[in-house]
Amino acid sequence: MATQTETESGRPYAPSVRARRPTDFDLTLPALGLLILFFVLPVAILLTRSVTEPVPGLGNYAELLGSSTYLRIFANTFIVSGLVTLVSLLVGFPVAWALAIMPSRVASVVFAILLLSMWTNLLARTYAWMVLLQRTGVINKVLIGMGLIDKPLPLVNNLTGVTIGMTYIMLPFIILPLYGVIRKIDPAILQAAALCGANRWQSLVRVLLPLAMPGMAAGALMVFVMSLGYFVTPALLGGTANMMLAELIAQFVQSLVNWGMGGAAALVLLVVTLALYAVQLRFFGTDRMGGR
Amino acid sequence: MRKILILAAAAATITTAVPASAADLVFSSWGGTTQDAQKAAWADKFAEKSGTNVLQDGPTDYGKLKAMVEANAVTWDVVDVEGDYAAQAGKNGLLEKLDFSVIDKSKLDPRFVTDYSVGSFYYSFVIGCNKDIVDACPKTWSDLFDTEKFPGKRTFYKWSAPGVIEAALLADGVPADKLYPLDLDRAFKKLDTIKGDIIWWSGGAQSQQLLASAEAPFGSLWNGRMTALAQSGINVETSWEQNITAADSLVVPKGAKNKDAAMQFIALATSAEAQAELANLTGYAPINLDSPKMMDEELAKTLPDAQTASQVNADMNYWAENRDAIGERWYAWQAK
Repeated sequence: MATQTETESGRPYAPSVRARRPTDFDLTLPALGLLILFFVLPVAILLTRSVTEPVPGLGNYAELLGSSTYLRIFANTFIVSGLVTLVSLLVGFPVAWALAIMPSRVASVVFAILLLSMWTNLLARTYAWMVLLQRTGVINKVLIGMGLIDKPLPLVNNLTGVTIGMTYIMLPFIILPLYGVIRKIDPAILQAAALCGANRWQSLVRVLLPLAMPGMAAGALMVFVMSLGYFVTPALLGGTANMMLAELIAQFVQSLVNWGMGGAAALVLLVVTLALYAVQLRFFGTDRMGGR
Repeated sequence: MRKILILAAAAATITTAVPASAADLVFSSWGGTTQDAQKAAWADKFAEKSGTNVLQDGPTDYGKLKAMVEANAVTWDVVDVEGDYAAQAGKNGLLEKLDFSVIDKSKLDPRFVTDYSVGSFYYSFVIGCNKDIVDACPKTWSDLFDTEKFPGKRTFYKWSAPGVIEAALLADGVPADKLYPLDLDRAFKKLDTIKGDIIWWSGGAQSQQLLASAEAPFGSLWNGRMTALAQSGINVETSWEQNITAADSLVVPKGAKNKDAAMQFIALATSAEAQAELANLTGYAPINLDSPKMMDEELAKTLPDAQTASQVNADMNYWAENRDAIGERWYAWQAK
């Protein structure tokens, strides 16, 4: 068949001569098979355990949703994720904007820095933050040395530490889609706004922000959903009072070896994540997720 | 991350991990300098003597161990676990009974021997202090819980395990011989009084970092870590007052592929020479009663063995019985 393709059309994979061209779906089969075997199935087994261990029934869910401690952890998971999303947007938007308007040679350097941080080991990055943020760390020492503060600021082992550490990790995920969207905005529109008498603030709030909204929403949702399941950073930079759901699941599975409760907590997280994903699809569609 | 977490737990239940060749023995421990020492003092010697190659794996993960046994796909032959876990897992049918015709238990410290486990090494929770930073060091558990006399952050072991609850009760004035059954209400009430001043350490290296950097100038640490800090030239003080002992144990998971070799490995690892060698390398105490006299005299003085005067033994059997209940309460309290 290959020879036929080449002789008759002069280029391979010409649709007209192929007996059957693999459809898009066929091409996903290997990946899909892998996912089902190594992800869907094990997750299903773990979730089954949540209603069978230690005794059949919904006891694990009752315990999970009936305990103020676990509800606090749920709430905390959402608070941290929300905070990280908010700060990521506030910090990420100016960066994305700057990237979109700066000369491409400079932009490529900034991109390299951004990506380089993504390629560095997560644990190494998190420990680096610990060294920077702790009471005897670099930041506090410098501030005290400059006479700006007398006592070290509590920057780590608390919500501040988690937010700083996670925002830093999430930034690329918000900057990249935003950059894509802002790049597509015709600079002439902003000029037009200025010509119509809009000041800088009005141009930003009434023109640029609405146009960048799809990218902001896509990036924000992605960061929020990713944050919901985060584990290493909150475990290392947060105090025990800032525990998030993923850490609770790890505790159930690895330390307490209580897979029923671990499965139940995992299902709750999965349902919330899927619901948010559904919202994302409903309002933005898959096309917009990359900021296109 | 979320996927990885769930996968880590569940994938092992349906997949068979790539097995080591049948002749190899797989030993799992907690990584770091301790496992390096176990390799040097035990595994390399065993490989030399028996011709059986010993592969190192880790870190030990109780979820993984359970998954292996349930799926009958056990890739670990000998596992270093915490003593309270060993006692519990034996009862829950996750472990092979040890063959005491191969392992000579007559010389092993009976505190750390069960049908399913023998001690790996033992250690004490001691009160460590960075003398460069503070004028006076806390000497007793009461001192460590006294934030007026000793203001500042203090560090404690993060995980639910023998040690911190005992320390809280001793600090609150419970006599050492009346510790068990643990009065959890009282312990948590005492812990509440210093909760805001605790920085938790989750691994030995972190405890050293916290103390050395004075992030937490004092706290409850494993004695071996204090020895290492002192050796590295940091001006630290160790108080052995009411040091609380706990042990790691060696176990063989149920269905281990190389059960016979595993028994021989444990026999060697718990021999007087191998235990003395490990203690030399780590600063933790040997569980073989003949080992201390084979050790360097100066070093032997720094071991928990030399500090039995006011020593408190954590009750592994009590912990095995109540491990789950205490654990759930512990983590719930921490998260509050």
